[in-house]
Amino acid sequence: MSKTERRAVITGVGAVSAIGVGVSALLDGLAAGRSAVRPIKSFEARTFPTRVAGEVPVVETNAGFVKDTLGALLRPGEAEAWERAGLLRDRKVCFGLAAAAEAWRGAGCGEGERAASLSIGLGLEQAFLEDFAAALDGATLCIGPGGHAGGEGVRFRSRVDLCAELLRDVLGLSGRIASHVSACAAGGMAVAHAAALVTRGAADVVLAGATDSMVNPLGVGGMSRLGAPSPRAEPDACRPFDKKRDGLAIGEGAAMFVVEEEARARARGARPLARIAGWATTQDAYRATAPRPDGARAQAAMERAVRRANLTPEDIGYVNAHGTGTPLNDAAEAKAIRALLGPVPVSSIKGAVGHLMAAAGAIELAACLLPFTRDLLPGTAHCTEPDPECPIAVIGPEPLPARVDHVLSNSFGFGGQNVSVILGRVA
Amino acid sequence: MRPSAAITGWAWRTPLGDGVDAVVGRILAGERAAQPNPSFDAESYACRLAAAIPGAPRPSKHRKFVKRMGLWGMEVAGEALTQSGARGAGERLGLFCGYGGLRAHWDDLMPVLTGQAGDGSAIDAWDRGFKLLHPFWMLFHLSNNAHALLSIDIGAKGDGITTGGANAGAQALEAATAALEAGSIDTALVFAYDSLVEPETVLSLGASGAATSAALESLAAPYDERAGGIVPGEAAAAVVLERAADAGDRALALVEARACADGEGGWPDASTLAGAIADMAEGVTVIDGAAIALPDRDAAERAALSEVLGARAMLLATSASTGALGGAGAIVQAIALASFLRRGLLPPIAGLSRPSPGPLSPLARTEATEARKALGISAGMPGLVGALRVEIP
Repeated sequence: MSKTERRAVITGVGAVSAIGVGVSALLDGLAAGRSAVRPIKSFEARTFPTRVAGEVPVVETNAGFVKDTLGALLRPGEAEAWERAGLLRDRKVCFGLAAAAEAWRGAGCGEGERAASLSIGLGLEQAFLEDFAAALDGATLCIGPGGHAGGEGVRFRSRVDLCAELLRDVLGLSGRIASHVSACAAGGMAVAHAAALVTRGAADVVLAGATDSMVNPLGVGGMSRLGAPSPRAEPDACRPFDKKRDGLAIGEGAAMFVVEEEARARARGARPLARIAGWATTQDAYRATAPRPDGARAQAAMERAVRRANLTPEDIGYVNAHGTGTPLNDAAEAKAIRALLGPVPVSSIKGAVGHLMAAAGAIELAACLLPFTRDLLPGTAHCTEPDPECPIAVIGPEPLPARVDHVLSNSFGFGGQNVSVILGRVA
Repeated sequence: MRPSAAITGWAWRTPLGDGVDAVVGRILAGERAAQPNPSFDAESYACRLAAAIPGAPRPSKHRKFVKRMGLWGMEVAGEALTQSGARGAGERLGLFCGYGGLRAHWDDLMPVLTGQAGDGSAIDAWDRGFKLLHPFWMLFHLSNNAHALLSIDIGAKGDGITTGGANAGAQALEAATAALEAGSIDTALVFAYDSLVEPETVLSLGASGAATSAALESLAAPYDERAGGIVPGEAAAAVVLERAADAGDRALALVEARACADGEGGWPDASTLAGAIADMAEGVTVIDGAAIALPDRDAAERAALSEVLGARAMLLATSASTGALGGAGAIVQAIALASFLRRGLLPPIAGLSRPSPGPLSPLARTEATEARKALGISAGMPGLVGALRVEIP
């Protein structure tokens, strides 16, 4: 088979979101039109301007959570050792592990897939307030090994690539590595990169996706000072494409996929869930803190993805928008979608699960399986009064029954890094 | 097999200086940049040596968004693009960034931290300091801030990704060559930056034994029988890539790259190093090694590489001169190897006086070469490998 004939399909998916742990929880919740943005429980946020988030319903990540989600993939005592070393305090590490394990098992991966590559989107480094007090001498931060340092680390930080390291260790992955750190576009880029590796013959199997959590004092504090979250501490804080939208809701979670060459997948009996038909990245080259108002480069990303998929714009039956719920993003994205795709149904799940930052594109691609598995297009939680400045066919809070063959997902990162990914229905 | 991407422009900031020709000359002369850590007082650290870039970035309007290494990354990227004469612009110009330093910086977080009660549940944490956080703190620490601002400065509207980790430069090179091959862009500007010369990293490298604890006078080179670990270094480097057919006479070198990893928490296994170059090694007799600078690791690397290259291949260690460069290493290697081949000279491993026995030939003095192709391999933690093949047209 020539390289040009290679196709990338998704054969396994795992997800962790505010709606619950597991992809079924996510899809069930979206099918039911649920929204899971709630008051923050994992730390005391009452004095913070931002007090709601799409928080995964797990108060503490620990060895028990990891054992429940990874099960037999772990060596005896491994989860406990990680917990003792402080490796599981960073929520995104545990969420990434859980999503990957679900995807790996769901795809029926085993020894034959150990040489898989890893393409993962990662967020910011995490730090722990409870460790800082002991590390502070007046206004001097005394770094050094401590209770959670594992003999070689710095105790108050969790390396951003820790999840990737643990994944490679647990699953024995030995192929290529791509760590995507393109901010909010990282998850979409990770999946696009995986598809590119598979179709050009650089890999047969890629574990791809992203994990992130900013539902912690540093993340919520930093975002609050930036002014990006909605000032309203209400469950409907994020209202994508709504006339009254006023900011995002911070979310957390992970989604991971087994991306595989289609013929290989079918030969080993794996069931393709969707085909990654097209993808493209572009850059705005406009401003650091705002998207291009005309959405031209976002439109270019979608256009190129459609072209790569050998489709026409009319073939796209649904768009899962980046749809942050911020005034500038939604208006610009809507213009781009309208210009290329016309009155295609559009929704954003960020009102339901929050903005997962580096993992946003990944969880939203997981949501894009809903049309293929249940003939439902996800709704846009809390969009009750569509903004005329967003001239698109926004799906309201309830999911829309429809059968479509191709869906497109957008992710846009800080400074104008854009990625569009198209999934196709498989026979 | 022949790489299809041509380097048409390059620039760097290294601990040995700025100009490519000047730095290459110093490497060929066997100089090394290691010195007592000039960046901070490291007397109480296990590792007290470092190879730091001298000076400071040029004044920039971007300093409120981007820290020192990112500013240098933007500088070298702009210089490389200017030098290249590449025709790709706008939507035909892609930007690929390797951001090695996946580390938050705590200095500008101190106003937040000093008032905290050490309470993990963060009671009153906002009033105790978070309200003092600079509004741009989050943007300052974003991993793609240099990439984003550079794309605006140069009007790069084509493909763009930011990769992270200790082999980020190799990842960025690989993604860029794939984009060129796919035809979605005509020019790829690839830049990477990383610094291992910061307190947390020096601490971790020293405590794990990865970095040397030697004084400058007794510092042993990689592949020396007394080798005792790497010297933390830092660099920013950029190359402009075009399809070889488009570059024509402007091609300085041809390059292909690979990034891979294993499940190791520390240095990658030797078999992973060898595996990374396995399908790029045809006809190559020169390799710039990972140079982990620990006798057991060095021996294992040489044994594994010799299985691919044969036992008589020439072994270099550019990082003996520059220090270990983390995510910037692959791009520095690409520039250095191309320069060596173009001059017909291979550099000595700086400071190598007692080469440990084993396969491959570690160079102890400058040698003339007629080789037109070479491999570079770099290792990072956790278990990360960058590999590249460089040819001169």
